[in-house]
Amino acid sequence: MSTQPLADFLAHSVELESEARERYLELAQSMAEHHNREVSEFFSRMAEESRLHLEEVAEIAQEHKLPELKAWEFEWPGEESPEATSYEAVHYRMTLRQAMLLALDNERAAEKFYGSFAKTSDDPETRSLAAQFAAEEASHAAQLVKKLGALPPDSAQQLEEDDDPHMPE
Amino acid sequence: MNEPVKLKAKDYKSAVKPIWCPGCGHFSILNALTKAFAALGIAKDDTVLVSGIGCSSRLPAYVDSYGFHGVHGRGLAIAQGLKVARPDLTVIAMGGDGDGFSIGGNHFIHACRRNVNMTYIAMDNEVYGMTKGQASPTTPADWDHSKLTPHGPGVRPFKPAALALAAGAPWIARGYSGNPNQIAKLIAEAIEHPGFSFVQVLSQCITFCPEQTDWKAIVNEREEAPLVDADEAAQLFLHEDGFQTGVLYNAPRATWPPSPPEPQSQDITRGFCL
Repeated sequence: MSTQPLADFLAHSVELESEARERYLELAQSMAEHHNREVSEFFSRMAEESRLHLEEVAEIAQEHKLPELKAWEFEWPGEESPEATSYEAVHYRMTLRQAMLLALDNERAAEKFYGSFAKTSDDPETRSLAAQFAAEEASHAAQLVKKLGALPPDSAQQLEEDDDPHMPE
Repeated sequence: MNEPVKLKAKDYKSAVKPIWCPGCGHFSILNALTKAFAALGIAKDDTVLVSGIGCSSRLPAYVDSYGFHGVHGRGLAIAQGLKVARPDLTVIAMGGDGDGFSIGGNHFIHACRRNVNMTYIAMDNEVYGMTKGQASPTTPADWDHSKLTPHGPGVRPFKPAALALAAGAPWIARGYSGNPNQIAKLIAEAIEHPGFSFVQVLSQCITFCPEQTDWKAIVNEREEAPLVDADEAAQLFLHEDGFQTGVLYNAPRATWPPSPPEPQSQDITRGFCL
């Protein structure tokens, strides 16, 4: 990170929320294409939540001049931004529970990312905003945990279903 | 005069939505490509994506640039012709391992040899996905997931980087679909390389090769500078495990054709006169 901690933090926050939304939209569309309607609708809802969070972050960010970073210049804890669903983790036959658990991992990863700034940044404004964003991610995670608790367990039949992939041409 | 609007990665996506399986590595490459375009400020109207046939070859339809969804294995031939005729364009050919190394294998080695100033992205998932999972030229010899090869193809897979080097490719890189930001950087560097640049992307097929999700733990980024000595590169490519990523070889040489030819549209028109 550079000598402008708040601008750098906001640039990362905008990218994080934007990538989370884009990935959820992509997943919702591809799940719909493969007739997994339940999971598609869930990912659409997650995309909408990400959009709301993105708008909030972008509104704060527009008051600052953010650095223009190339995709590979962002400094993430892993290879991608923390809230972007991993490509390796999804499958067209995944259940709603699996999708929700994946989203929960994403929320917690984002909470951890923001939390690290809240704890370690030298800039008080960055620490304050990061703590606010981390709390929001924690709130999203708590909502998902509650919904997961109310969800019936996956049946063995659902998980073992052996259907051919649908590849329309 | 107004400054040109700086495009974001998503601005380079077309309205056509991918029909790839969720989790397909090709999504990552599509995102990486658009990120590379955004980083370089690529003009949509000056860019052409050319592909062959297969899941990966659908990619040009998903990008808001010019595109040509060509004939199986012939993407490189079309792309080279285009670049020679229109050297002002950014030309990127792409396709899968079956398209590029089997039916298009001959075009691949001659594209490496010819060294036209363009980029080739091979989206390598070691399987023919569109036809529901048959062994390709890069499939491991013991891969037994297809009814056509129930005991595995039993044939040594191609090593695309070694093949490219032996055929004369001056710039060779490898990426992994689990790391789209790295692929974006590789593609940006490939486009900027003055000559033929070959990017092999290990792109998981979640549907027919679910074991490829293990690649995440195997792939490793090469920390050393790209090799410039072909002998050293040959030793690397023949003996490595195929999972090192980064720019692996960079030895620029003269491109073909030696200098951009003058426009000869009248000659071409005359050639088609009966």
